[in-house]
Amino acid sequence: MRTWAYLLGGLVVWTVHFFGLYIFGSVFPQTTLARILSGLLTLAALAADAILLWRAGTASMAQAGREELGRWTDYLAALSAAISLIAVFWQGLPVLIA
Amino acid sequence: MTSETGFDTRLYDNFPTREERPQGELEELERIWRAPTGWGRLTIVNNNYVGLWYVAAAFLFFLLAGVLALAMRVQLALPLNGILPQETYNQFFTMHGTVMMFLFAVPAVEALGVMLLPQMLAARDLPFPRLSAYAFWAYLVGGLCFFASLFFGLAPNGGWFMYPPLTSMAYSPGINADFWLLGIGFIEISAIAGAIEIIVGVLRTRAPGMSLDKMPIFAWAMLVFACMIVIAFPAVILGTLLLEFERAFNWSFFDPTRGGDPLLWQHLFWFFGHPEVYIIFLPAAALVSTMVAGLAKTPLVGHNLIVLAFLATGFISFGVWSHHMFATGMPRLSVGFFSAASTAVSVPAGIQVFSWIATFAAGTPRYNTPTLFVIGGLVTFVIGGLTGVMVAMVPFDWQAHDTHFIVAHLHYVLIGGMVFPLFAAFYFWIGMTSRRALSERLGKWSFWLMFAGMQITFLPMHLTGLMGMLRRVYTYLPGRSWEVTNMISTVGAFILAAGVVVFLIDLARNFRFTVEDDAGNVYGGGTLEWLPTGLYSTRSIPVIRSRYPLWDDPELCKIVEEGRYLLPNSATGRRETIVTSPLRAEPEYLQIMPGPSVWPLLAAVFTAGFFVILTIQAYTPALISGVLAVLAVIRWLWETDRPVAAQHADVGGGIMLPTYVTGPRTHGWWAMVILLIVIAMILLMSVFSYLYLYGIHPSFWRSPPDNLWLLPILSGYALAAGLPLLARGLLKREKTTLWTPPVLMFVAAVALVVAVALEFRSWRSIGLDPQLSGQAAMIYAFLSLQGTMTAISMLMTGYLMARNARGLIVRPHNNTFDLTTMFVVYSAAQGGFIAALTHLFPGAV
Repeated sequence: MRTWAYLLGGLVVWTVHFFGLYIFGSVFPQTTLARILSGLLTLAALAADAILLWRAGTASMAQAGREELGRWTDYLAALSAAISLIAVFWQGLPVLIA
Repeated sequence: MTSETGFDTRLYDNFPTREERPQGELEELERIWRAPTGWGRLTIVNNNYVGLWYVAAAFLFFLLAGVLALAMRVQLALPLNGILPQETYNQFFTMHGTVMMFLFAVPAVEALGVMLLPQMLAARDLPFPRLSAYAFWAYLVGGLCFFASLFFGLAPNGGWFMYPPLTSMAYSPGINADFWLLGIGFIEISAIAGAIEIIVGVLRTRAPGMSLDKMPIFAWAMLVFACMIVIAFPAVILGTLLLEFERAFNWSFFDPTRGGDPLLWQHLFWFFGHPEVYIIFLPAAALVSTMVAGLAKTPLVGHNLIVLAFLATGFISFGVWSHHMFATGMPRLSVGFFSAASTAVSVPAGIQVFSWIATFAAGTPRYNTPTLFVIGGLVTFVIGGLTGVMVAMVPFDWQAHDTHFIVAHLHYVLIGGMVFPLFAAFYFWIGMTSRRALSERLGKWSFWLMFAGMQITFLPMHLTGLMGMLRRVYTYLPGRSWEVTNMISTVGAFILAAGVVVFLIDLARNFRFTVEDDAGNVYGGGTLEWLPTGLYSTRSIPVIRSRYPLWDDPELCKIVEEGRYLLPNSATGRRETIVTSPLRAEPEYLQIMPGPSVWPLLAAVFTAGFFVILTIQAYTPALISGVLAVLAVIRWLWETDRPVAAQHADVGGGIMLPTYVTGPRTHGWWAMVILLIVIAMILLMSVFSYLYLYGIHPSFWRSPPDNLWLLPILSGYALAAGLPLLARGLLKREKTTLWTPPVLMFVAAVALVVAVALEFRSWRSIGLDPQLSGQAAMIYAFLSLQGTMTAISMLMTGYLMARNARGLIVRPHNNTFDLTTMFVVYSAAQGGFIAALTHLFPGAV
């Protein structure tokens, strides 16, 4: 499970972020509180993605002596964190403009 | 090399083996895997047959739904046309959408999974071949009965997403809607059975050495596809159950005058419905990715990015369901979130499109039929994707909502994203299963007719929609400028149909089913399904060292055929396959597989009978059919989970594998965990519904019973959870009599019954009536779910005792015992959670 959690870490962050936003937007509709909570969650998710990206990215670049599956897992985990970083940022924008 | 399981991977170096294989080994394999003949064919469980039947059945439903589409197009060709009366038109568009989505698209890709995966993974078969057979027969029988409702004027008529209140008893008083609710709910069960089979198959039956990074792209897509089914389909199962409860018993889930809410249905339906689009698209995209590499004769460009795209789609597609509900007046901030997710999901799709283009550019594609279908599909899908981004913009969506623009968009996406790739796949893979390849000449005719027909039909439909024509209207007045575009669309539909007819002619002329002497690898694919196969799949199971083993080792086919890799024989004299570890595919144990049986067929027929007869409200025959289905399932299972005499078997190259293992590494354990995830998702969606209705109509909610009720209820559930764990511990103790553990399990199930009965009694004590409030209806729904789990627990523990009486429960561990333990413990935990939630919220919390 640890490998899967690592591999999918970025996408799990995206999921938590998205459903968090949905819950805030639904439980506190049309309020400033929803915006503040959504903004804070977005910052936390961006931080989590950045950490994942840094960890997987540095591991992915330290290739020497690594076996194929390990390198592949690091690479995909870094990509997953990167795409999540972009998606979370994009997903958080309605807090500012909607 | 690092090992996942402690397996010594240096043993891989022993392959290919050098010694000659003994005489008669191949003949024995053929005898063991031989398929019955005559009427016995109905009992076949081999994936070569079941997969093909599955594909053929799905294609049949495609043709049937296509005929309905043609009739609708004729009706709309002219204003005030009188071909189809309004009610018939309603039934036709409902059945067209429903059959295409539920009986064609999802089953077709699932069927291709059943057909291709074992060969692609070099497994002997998928791990639960009887489950595949059950899923197929249930789908076929149920689907045909469902379709036949059209001939009696009883087909559903509320659109393929069946929104209440239109489909509530007040506005749909006949049984038409019930056909949809029970029929689709039942077909979803078949889809979930297939998904469990595919997940366990992909993760646990890959050829040794096929670690995740070497897994074929199609297997990746099927894994994500099946996981998405497990997460998404419970929502629609719950939705159909709630709507059927409302229709049958007048429980108020969707009636706002009694604390329900019709938008709850839309949330439940689209939580399933939008991921469903990707559930259909991902496997088709993987077919394209596989074919593009083969057709361009070069490895897929961006393989890892495509894997990432599949995974990202699998997640992000669950964040877009409400974009179907932009017109319902959701909070503005929520609308913004869904709009953002809807545009974000196009990024993974874009990654795939660019990868395919790059692969074609990097390779040497030829002008042949599958290439044409792939490129045609790509062009069409991109157009559909772009209009998809348009409707993700809320202001545009408000204008285009429920118009023919949406009809055009969804057909571009689905035909480009799934139908054209499927036809490409027919041409590409037909050599696996037919003596003759399909005709290139007819294939090109078929493609150009279908491609031109598709564009002629649906391109003008964008304009029809933008000019204001709503979807689902059976006619229109003259003079509104819709005549020309409608007529063009109708002509196009017939051109498209002509292309399909040409394909059927090609099939009739050239398709000749075979398992032994197939036409082979016509287009030069590099993955394992092109190894020479028989009903036993490959003669021996190769060690995998790359993503395109056939390209990287031109001798592989010959060596595999000579039996110089793993399991070149039947090590135990039975059907068997090697179960490998999920990450690195290291051999773990030898799975003994069940052979042909009539019981999956009978179980499927009686299950279908139960649902269909229930629809026509013949309750006693329905009950009898249901009981017979349960008996057939029990009989089918009775022959399974039996250790064989030899505890270990030699699979070649000095590798000895156990023939019977228990615990978390078994395929049965994995399947049970996935099943429990499905049930947990139903629970989660029920909790969502409960909280949603509270959020919408809190004034209808009343205080729960006295909290003192919780003490005996939770005690009962605690007992039901603790006893199975104790029993499992006792089973391995030699001093314990063999009867003690199963009896403890049965007592646990009885504790479940008592707890559910107390729970029910507590709510009755305050006079809660499910006809009067959404809260009461949801609590009764929770109790129904828990009651069902309890009944199944009783059945399972009774079955366990029966097996024990026959000496089939063995120490120190036993798979049937383990699985029953998991189910009963989960049921108890679920019951405790439901009791705590409903008694404490709202009120104490």
